[in-house]
Amino acid sequence: MGCAEALRVQAYFDAEVDAVSAADIERHVEHCAECRALLQDLEQTRTAIRRDLTPGRAPPELHARIRHALDQEPAVNTPRPDRWGRTSWRTRPFWLGALGGIGSAALAASLAFLVLSPSMPNPLLDDLLAAHVRSLMPSHLVDVVSTDQHTVKPWFAGHTDVSPVVADFAQQGYRLIGGRADYLDHQRSAVVVYQHGAHVINVFSWSAGRGSLPGNATRSGYHLAFWKAGDLEYCAVSDTGWDELLGLVRLLKDLSSRDGRE
Amino acid sequence: MDDKRGRFEAEVLPHLDAAYRFARWLSHSPGDADDVVQEAMLRAFRGFDALRGSDVKAWLLAIVRNCHATAVKQQQRRAFVPLPEEHDPRDGYAMIATTPDPESASIRGDDARSLERLMSALPEEQREVLVLREIEDLDYRAIATVTNVPIGTVMSRLARARAALKTRWLREVEGELRGVR
Repeated sequence: MGCAEALRVQAYFDAEVDAVSAADIERHVEHCAECRALLQDLEQTRTAIRRDLTPGRAPPELHARIRHALDQEPAVNTPRPDRWGRTSWRTRPFWLGALGGIGSAALAASLAFLVLSPSMPNPLLDDLLAAHVRSLMPSHLVDVVSTDQHTVKPWFAGHTDVSPVVADFAQQGYRLIGGRADYLDHQRSAVVVYQHGAHVINVFSWSAGRGSLPGNATRSGYHLAFWKAGDLEYCAVSDTGWDELLGLVRLLKDLSSRDGRE
Repeated sequence: MDDKRGRFEAEVLPHLDAAYRFARWLSHSPGDADDVVQEAMLRAFRGFDALRGSDVKAWLLAIVRNCHATAVKQQQRRAFVPLPEEHDPRDGYAMIATTPDPESASIRGDDARSLERLMSALPEEQREVLVLREIEDLDYRAIATVTNVPIGTVMSRLARARAALKTRWLREVEGELRGVR
């Protein structure tokens, strides 16, 4: 395709040009053999594709799977008055939505984890801990892989309901690995994933609710640090030591207050 | 049925076939396409409230494309990269027309299979714009939305895809015919 007008001829073929340009291009094609041949080629290719590759249809089983999956979805995204309450976390496993059809092994593993752990009084701790443990399963840690806050932060805008603070603290020993969308009590939460030494730290965030935030806690060897910044609530979960975990929490709090808006 | 679900079924579910076709062209195995489409539909449902009057089909196909990319990344992270299933007898059947006339169906079938093979052999960035333009009939702007590149890039990729397909197609089909004559 040597003619400089080839892309315009293609645009003409695809009905992407206005009437004036179309007339212009038609005049060009009249005396350019190359573009006449191009138009023919475009037509032949289109005819072959549209004739021979008749549209496939989604199989009925897939229809059924999707309808079933949609049945499990909450219809409303607004926070419920009973958030973290008994009914909501008992009636529908929160990870169903997050997992979709993929990763049933991880689902089984986190179920086993929940069954084996001693009963905990606060379902929020359950949820966060299970989500953290699930994230450590192969292939579930991050949805967006990036060490760049300017990649991770906009990604959340399309995939979660909240926009948490994100930064790479590699200098201070907390490397930004990426982000993930997770489901916590009918709300999509944003998870920013950091690595500190050999340890993964998941920083969950969600819109602040009416209830009070639990105090910092240790469950099954994992530390959970809670804090609030602006209209978001955060929880950092990891098996690092408390000092290391709180070091990251301090950095994030500083960042929030510097941002001023959160 | 609540309102959101009802609106979703009316506005988004009609594009399920398009989502499936697109996923099939992106992934090499039918099972992967099923998973990608299901995940995409769930994400679409969760993000549906934020959708305001834009092109629903392009919006959904963009989500399918993202889910496909995520699935591929996860497979790579698992160090489990399936070989392209070129000889999988299931692969591609959903794309092929079924015509009532068995004889022309068989000729068409041959053409369709080689054309489909040629398209599958295109680089992914070319294949996706070609599929979106010729099969899903999206305009340049919508293709740019789905593939997340500028319109100029859509145009050049489309030109390259068409030229490559045309060249290979000529070599295969018309070359054979000329040989027979």
